[in-house]
Amino acid sequence: MKRIEDYIGTAIYTTVLLFAGLFLVMPMIVAVVLSFDARSFLGAFPPTEFSLRWYREFLSDDYLHRGLYTSLIVSTIATLVSTVLGTFAAIAIDRGRFKGRATLEAMFLSPLIIPTVVTGFAVLIFTASLGIMDGLTRLILGHILITFPYILRTVLAVLSGVPKRYTEAALSLGAKPWLATIEVTLPLARSGIIAGAIFAFVMSFDEVAVSLFLSDPFTYTLPVALLTQMRASLNLTIAAISVIFLVVSVLLILALDKLAGVETLTGRGVYGR
Amino acid sequence: MSKLTRRHFGKGALVSAGAALAMPALTRPAFASDQLLIVQWGAMWIEVSREILEMYLDSTGSDLSVTWEQHSGGSAAILARIQAEWPNTQRNIVSAWDPVFRSMIKEDWLEPVDESIVTNMSSIPDLFVQKDSAGRKMTVPLSTAGAFWGYREDILPDGFDTIEDLLRPEFRGQVCIPYPVNLTGLFIVTCAIQRGGDEFNTEPGWDFVKELAASGAIGQICTSNSEFINAMATGLYGVGFWNNGGWFATATNFPVVIKNRMPDNKGFLYNEGFSVLKGSPLEPSWELTNFFARPEINELYNMNLGSGPTHPDAKANPLIADWFYGPDELEQYAYVADFDHLGIVLSDWNARWEREVLPLIP
Amino acid sequence: MPLDRFHKILVLPAVLVFAPLVIGPLILLFQESLRPYEGGSIGGTLNAYLTLSNYTEFWHPTYAKYFLDTFRVSLIVTLLALVLGYLLAHYVVRVAKPRIAKLVLAGLLGVLFISLIVRIYAITLTFGPIGPLRDISWLVGIDPRTRRHTELMVVFGLLHTVLPLVTLTMIGTIQMVNPRLEEAAMSLGAPGWRAFFSVTLPLSIPGIVSAGIIGYAFSISNLVVPLLMGRGFVTFISNLIYFRFSEVANFPSGAALSVIMLLIALGIFFAGTRIVSAIWPPAERSGR
Repeated sequence: MKRIEDYIGTAIYTTVLLFAGLFLVMPMIVAVVLSFDARSFLGAFPPTEFSLRWYREFLSDDYLHRGLYTSLIVSTIATLVSTVLGTFAAIAIDRGRFKGRATLEAMFLSPLIIPTVVTGFAVLIFTASLGIMDGLTRLILGHILITFPYILRTVLAVLSGVPKRYTEAALSLGAKPWLATIEVTLPLARSGIIAGAIFAFVMSFDEVAVSLFLSDPFTYTLPVALLTQMRASLNLTIAAISVIFLVVSVLLILALDKLAGVETLTGRGVYGR
Repeated sequence: MSKLTRRHFGKGALVSAGAALAMPALTRPAFASDQLLIVQWGAMWIEVSREILEMYLDSTGSDLSVTWEQHSGGSAAILARIQAEWPNTQRNIVSAWDPVFRSMIKEDWLEPVDESIVTNMSSIPDLFVQKDSAGRKMTVPLSTAGAFWGYREDILPDGFDTIEDLLRPEFRGQVCIPYPVNLTGLFIVTCAIQRGGDEFNTEPGWDFVKELAASGAIGQICTSNSEFINAMATGLYGVGFWNNGGWFATATNFPVVIKNRMPDNKGFLYNEGFSVLKGSPLEPSWELTNFFARPEINELYNMNLGSGPTHPDAKANPLIADWFYGPDELEQYAYVADFDHLGIVLSDWNARWEREVLPLIP
Repeated sequence: MPLDRFHKILVLPAVLVFAPLVIGPLILLFQESLRPYEGGSIGGTLNAYLTLSNYTEFWHPTYAKYFLDTFRVSLIVTLLALVLGYLLAHYVVRVAKPRIAKLVLAGLLGVLFISLIVRIYAITLTFGPIGPLRDISWLVGIDPRTRRHTELMVVFGLLHTVLPLVTLTMIGTIQMVNPRLEEAAMSLGAPGWRAFFSVTLPLSIPGIVSAGIIGYAFSISNLVVPLLMGRGFVTFISNLIYFRFSEVANFPSGAALSVIMLLIALGIFFAGTRIVSAIWPPAERSGR
């Protein structure tokens, strides 16, 4: 009796899983195939002729390269700043006892509910009123705003699993609070911090709406470049780009795995499984 | 010594291009190569512009360095950007069309055309040129263009005779139209004219649009040239209303019939061209513009866009032969809308579209 | 140094950087929303009288419909994402062998890393008129020529964005649930699925809710998916806002709509978290 129930349960479980997996993966496969399409207009799938023309286009397209370069700089700097500030803020909110913690937490997390279109425009008029005309600065400021909540959330979540008594022990042994934090709390929360940072970086790298408003003709992020291209001209360079992205992310993840193990991303939890 | 025009921050001193012209180019200081930021549409526009830029650099030996910015969506979007940064905008040449020119003239952002550099201006019909309130010429028209109804013959062999036909069931989901914001609301104008109104009296037009929406005829509402080109290429839609650029790109791959001689409607004509923003390096801007206005270059430019050249010595693309009108047909079939008025009402039309039309689509 | 003071100093840099970045723009936004707008100009008229007309403009049933559409479609997406994501997360944490778990994890991260624009494009290619899966809407009984089909496409697009996000969040949650509890239930005679539903699932609920909130927030404020896949008539609030800022240059109206959207979103989340906390009291954070 039990066996049949389990069998059906497992069957449903597996089907749903397969569906989810396929759903996520299928578009990528289609994009890969279409990136080799030789035709110059959107024809029926599958393509009849193949060529490498879209890859050549991408490699010779300065417009996209510039976007990629800017994206890397903006996301890296914004993530770094948010990680440092956010980790300390998380520790302070989780461990501190001062008044107004909840309000601060709410404020720090607020960008999550503000639609990115609004964030983009609002930061634009704000920086304009301050006289900040430089696209790169604007982009970095906007991206700090949107990456911060992710870091805060992740570190707070991890900290809730780090028992306070370790830090308290260090303090009772005479360590100054600063030292106790650096030597005890931070290392224990390390996986969460790294996870949060990677998450934040990825979200920032992919961010469109904010970057749309904060870019200027010389400084724009890759998603903005892609969007402009997609709305402005008809070509399958984007399919070629998706393949390149795929390869790069596979390589990056392999590297991450070698260095730290992919599980650090989500931590191993309290129970190790 | 030719004075190098330098970008400035704030209204005021501009080095007169006239003085710069008086001196031969030989004495131009070698320390700074000019940089221009040009805003241009994507797709064929920017492709052919890049080609022409190459030709310019080769033929003059200039070391001009150009960065291209693409219009995203309608070219009115660039207005918001420029406004946010005015007067510190980095943009120099803006390729746009009459409605956008009128907005820029109203905001007083443009440099009057320096005809001593842009010598080809003298050949271009005055009718095409946009002027400011003092009567000064503010744009260099490079193309005559228009917005038309049309259909793909391979999808709908019989086509339609009047857009009233589109309300019939066989056209369900077939029609590809612009948002009111795009083409500066010309879509609403064509619908208005259909029912006896015009851009000032659009009520009959709104009635038609609502009927069209409710009948399920509308397949897609496009917000940019390329969206239209891509949409028409999918084969999902047989009918459309868009500018000649979008139709031209479609016509290169599929058989297209342009309905610009319907008895109860019109073809909507306007001009596209270059304008130069204040604060730009004037000499290189006007020189480059003048190059674009040369007859053989003007011909090349428009050959790739499917628009009519503005220089009388330039030949038009044979593919679009019957898209534009002979002088005797203008009265009957052509319509030039009041773009100043359209610019003012556009925001209201957008809101009205959101409120009354979009929800009707089944 | 007293611990409290230390913590106050620790949070200070973040406050100094962050607070102006959040508060400043919001104030300016609110200010702009009160300015009158003249047709044909760009942005609100400066130094003019203040007006509430930008807000009253939206007091119209159709705009309620846009809000409802945005919230409704996002709800569908979030629920789908939670179901699929939870099972996926459960698989990664509890069932999969370490190597496979790594692979799936890597896959999820990889999907997130690939630009959303690229993914949307790929989805349009797959499910669109020329794609191999173009007839999929028939499976759900939807005619490709209707609005519902376009909505389905938008759902797919949003799902592709939200699913990896939500799954990764919930992996963390499931890791917090003691596996022994499920084992204990099974040793007491419960079948696998029963142990799952009565033990693991209820314990994960706070995490599921948290993931759901993130996913929902993402979904309702999304611009790119409806923009690229909505065919111009499936419109989210973000699209309406974007048009006002970027195409029509009616900044005051866009600002007003933004403020309205913000308030509504705040309201939803506030009410949502309150209700959830009332039904399922939050688990004690250790050490607090």
